[in-house]
Formats: sequence, structure tokens, C-alpha cells
Amino acid sequence: MLLEARNITKAFGSFKAVDDASVTLEQGDILGLIGPNGAGKSTFFNCLTGDLKTTSGRVLFEGADITDFTPELRAELGLARTFQVPQTFEGMTVLENVMIGAFLRSSHRKEAEAKAHAVLERVGMSRLADAPARSLGTPGRKRLEIARALATEPKVLLLDEAMAGLNAHEVKLAIDLVRDIHRSGITLVIVEHIMEVIMSLASRVMVFHQGKEIARGSPREVTSNPAVIAAYLGTRAAKAAAGHTPVELMGGPDL
Amino acid sequence: MRRWIWLSVVAALAIAYPLLLSSPFQQRLGALVLLYAIAASAWNIVGGYAGQVSVGHVVFFGCGAYAAMGSYAKFGLSPLIGIPGGIVLAVGLAAIIGVPTLRLSGHYFSMATIAVAETMRLIVTNTEWLGAAVGLSGPTVPRNVFDLSFLSSLPYYYLFLAVLAITLAITWWMTNSRMGFYLRAIKDSERAARSLGAPASRTKLYAFMLSAALTSVAGALYAMMFGFVDPESGLGILISVKILIMAALGGAGLLFGPLVGAAILVPLEEISNSWLGGKGAGLTFVVYGAIIVLIARFQPGGLLSLFIRRGKPKTDTGAGHAP
Repeated sequence: MLLEARNITKAFGSFKAVDDASVTLEQGDILGLIGPNGAGKSTFFNCLTGDLKTTSGRVLFEGADITDFTPELRAELGLARTFQVPQTFEGMTVLENVMIGAFLRSSHRKEAEAKAHAVLERVGMSRLADAPARSLGTPGRKRLEIARALATEPKVLLLDEAMAGLNAHEVKLAIDLVRDIHRSGITLVIVEHIMEVIMSLASRVMVFHQGKEIARGSPREVTSNPAVIAAYLGTRAAKAAAGHTPVELMGGPDL
Repeated sequence: MRRWIWLSVVAALAIAYPLLLSSPFQQRLGALVLLYAIAASAWNIVGGYAGQVSVGHVVFFGCGAYAAMGSYAKFGLSPLIGIPGGIVLAVGLAAIIGVPTLRLSGHYFSMATIAVAETMRLIVTNTEWLGAAVGLSGPTVPRNVFDLSFLSSLPYYYLFLAVLAITLAITWWMTNSRMGFYLRAIKDSERAARSLGAPASRTKLYAFMLSAALTSVAGALYAMMFGFVDPESGLGILISVKILIMAALGGAGLLFGPLVGAAILVPLEEISNSWLGGKGAGLTFVVYGAIIVLIARFQPGGLLSLFIRRGKPKTDTGAGHAP
């Protein structure tokens, strides 16, 4: 067991954004977290990365309890993440952005620089190494987020809507990159709105609705689950869909 | 390569200055520029690189100044002996201020530093042992060279130049180390920096402590040159503001920014003081206020950033999916 969340609850005042959610992640998994807007998947995600303190429940990494660990300690253990709204270091070049990640495992500038170059090569951004990071557009920034996270040599990479704001072509390229990362032995957790991304990538899916887990299983299983369709489209649509192939109804997969 | 040429030219000019412009006024002016450049460069480590705007840096300045004068006035030792004591005091105080406040967002840190500095000024003003409102004096007649009490400004000039060179060397070394990279990252996005493993609170605290140590050295040098320290000259809020404005005017977060700022502001102040005499003190605040507004409106990066191009700006055309 690589990563495990046990009965995570996160309350803001009396509102439970995540209510008693549990998940286990095995080496080599690609876990998809989906759900309508405001379902609690991002909150749950941030509890895993340590950006938010859980109200109750435990988070375990390789069997050790990391519930009270700061994000930087979790990074050191091998958890890396990207942000839904890219948190680019605006005052730095693309290379320097990646070096911040590389510095986690190598304290010397030269080493970190060499490692950052290698990571940029891997994600296809070598050409932009010396460009100021602020000159990048959304696709570049999203990719830079992934490069930075990779430079920390993670065991688990958590992607928070890494494809949001990309056009169809860019999404395809990003999916290829994620597949490549997975092949290199990194376990992935992806929060995603775009159904086709989940359908084509995830080995297991967990569906959130109003803070609660309403379904889990393979992508095909959850998309044919009436509770999931009801959560996305409302109960009437779910009834109407009973006679159709739900996967098509939800817009995927057509890659 | 060009950078080394520039550096050599600036260094040569700095060494030759008091010999070329050798009137006492000019030499004293040169020494003051260097002194404030030391303080502003020290501030730059935490205010410029880490983006944590301390408005109470004078408290560390005061630690050094009082430690240097105290070691003479209280124990009859050379003011030089007080420097390590001042550093220890300043670093300890920085830790006490920094641990609770550096976790908070920038404004709280700025306010906390002002509060601590003003509190210290009031405490010292009311402490008889530290000379209260009158302050402490250094040796009037030097017993030996280690009292660092000279009539001419020339020895101070070269002493300050050496200390400034050390300060800038430390800063340069820091910016090229992991710590410097982490500080810049934390300044842009603390959350992202932490997610990549940068220990934000600890890194900022180290920067603050380093900055405090160097600022206390500046304070000690200041007190030695003037031969005394009192609550106004050693712990007055105006000194904090002056240090901050110099760094911001020249370019906060740039190695030579504070030096440029000091080279502009110190002569400006000295000249306006000599023209206006005692009436100038109030006017200084007005001028500083105006400078803050102008920097914030027109050149937030400071004057030096006008001359520095950081890579060629490229517009985004398919960036992110290069072949």
C-alpha cells in the first residue's frame, strides 16, 4: 500500500466539504477523482497533499502516519502535486522553476541544474529553458507544473485538473505525457473534469458527490452507475439513460 | 565576462573615490554611503530576496550600535569586542520575532517588526544602564587603533568598503545557493514552493537571522564612526525607513540595488540637511514619502531593474508542447 486515506472528514465550520472518505492507492495505480463542481474532490486532494489539515481521519504513506506532516515533509517522502491554477514562479526562468523541484534531492546548484535540464528534455520543454516563466501561456504553465513536480523524483504524483483550459490537441499531448510518466513507475492521482481524460487514463475511479463517495470502480463501472449519472445529470436524465449506453451519454470515450 | 569588467570598474572607482575627492565632506559622504549600503544590503536579504518587508530593521542596527558602545562605556573594552555580542543579540531577537510572525502573511510580519522596534526604543529610552535618552558614548580620545576612533573619515571609508564587499559576497553566495533559489520561489508562491519540498518558514527565518546579523554590524560601525549612540540614532524608526527606501529605490532583490539606492539618497539627504540646517529633519520624511509613492507607481523593481534584462520575453506560441 503506497498511499491510504482513512475516513477523511474536512469541515469548514458546520459544512462538511469531505465526509468520511477513504481510499487506498497501490503502486502503479492511476486513481481518478471525479465528481460535479463542489463535490469535494479538490478538498480531499488537498488533504492528501497536506495543503489542508483534516478535521478527522488519517493519511498513511507507505504505512507511516503522515496526517500531521507539512506539505514540504510530504514532498520529501515522495508526494508531489500540481495546482489547478498554475502557481508558476513568475520571477524565474522555466529552468529555474524546475530547479526548485530538483533542489529537493540535490543541494548543489550544478546538480540541480543538470537534473532540471533532463526533466525539461523529458517533457519536451528544453527549447524554453531560458525563457522567463511568465511568458508561458496556460498549456506551458500546466506542463511546467508537471515538470517541477517530476524534478522532486516523486513516488506518487497528484495532478489537480492538469488538463483544464487546454484545447483538444493539447489535452491529447498532455495525456501522452501522463502515460509516459506512469510508465516510468510513478503512481498517479488525477482530479479531472474532462471525462475522456479519466476514461482513457484511470485504472480506478472514485466519484464524489456533496462531500461523500458515491461510487468507485473501473471507469466503465462508475459511468454506468445510476447514482453517478444522477449526480452529474439529475435523476430524470438517469432514468432516461437507463436504456442507453451511459458512457456515450457522458461524452466519452472517443479517443 | 562583461559582468566582471563592470565589477572591476565599480571596485576601482570605489577604492579611488576618497583619494580623488579628498575634502573631509566628500570623504565623510563616501563613508556614509557605504555604511548605509551595508545596512540596506543586509535588509535586502530578507526584504528583497525573501520578500518579507521588515520595517523594524533598526532594532538590529541598535543591537550592534549599543553592543559596540556598551563594551566601551560599560566594560572599558574596544568597541570592536562588542560586534560579536551585537550579532548574537540581533540573531536571537530575529528568531524571537521571526518564529511566530514569518508564518503569517507579509503585512503581519511588517507590523510585528515595527512594534518590536518601537518597543525596544521605549525600553532603552527608559533604561538608565543603557544611558536612557542620552545614550552611550565611545572613546573621546582613542587609546589605541583598536578603539577605531579617527578624526578623518578616510579609515572609516576603507573599513566600510571592506565590510560592504563581505556583505555583498555573502549575499551573492546566498543567491546562488539552494537557499537563495528557495527564497525567490517562496516570494512568488509559498504554497508551490512548499509543495516542492522547500521548508518555507525555516528558510525565511534563516534569511531573517542572517540579515539581522549583518545589520547589527552596520549599527556597530555607525556608532564607532559617530562615537555615540542614543535611542533616536540607534533605534529610531526613521533609520528603518531609510534602509528600506534605499534598497527599494536601487532595486530590492538585486545584488547592487541597495548600493545604488544609498549612493543616491545619502548625498541627497546630506546636501538638503546642510542647506536647510535643523529645519531639514521634518522635510526628510516628506521626501521619503514622495519617493515611496514614485517607486510604487513607476518602477516597483527599483532603478537598477531598468538596466537589467532578464532573458528575452517570448510570447507564447504553442509553448508547452515543443517537439
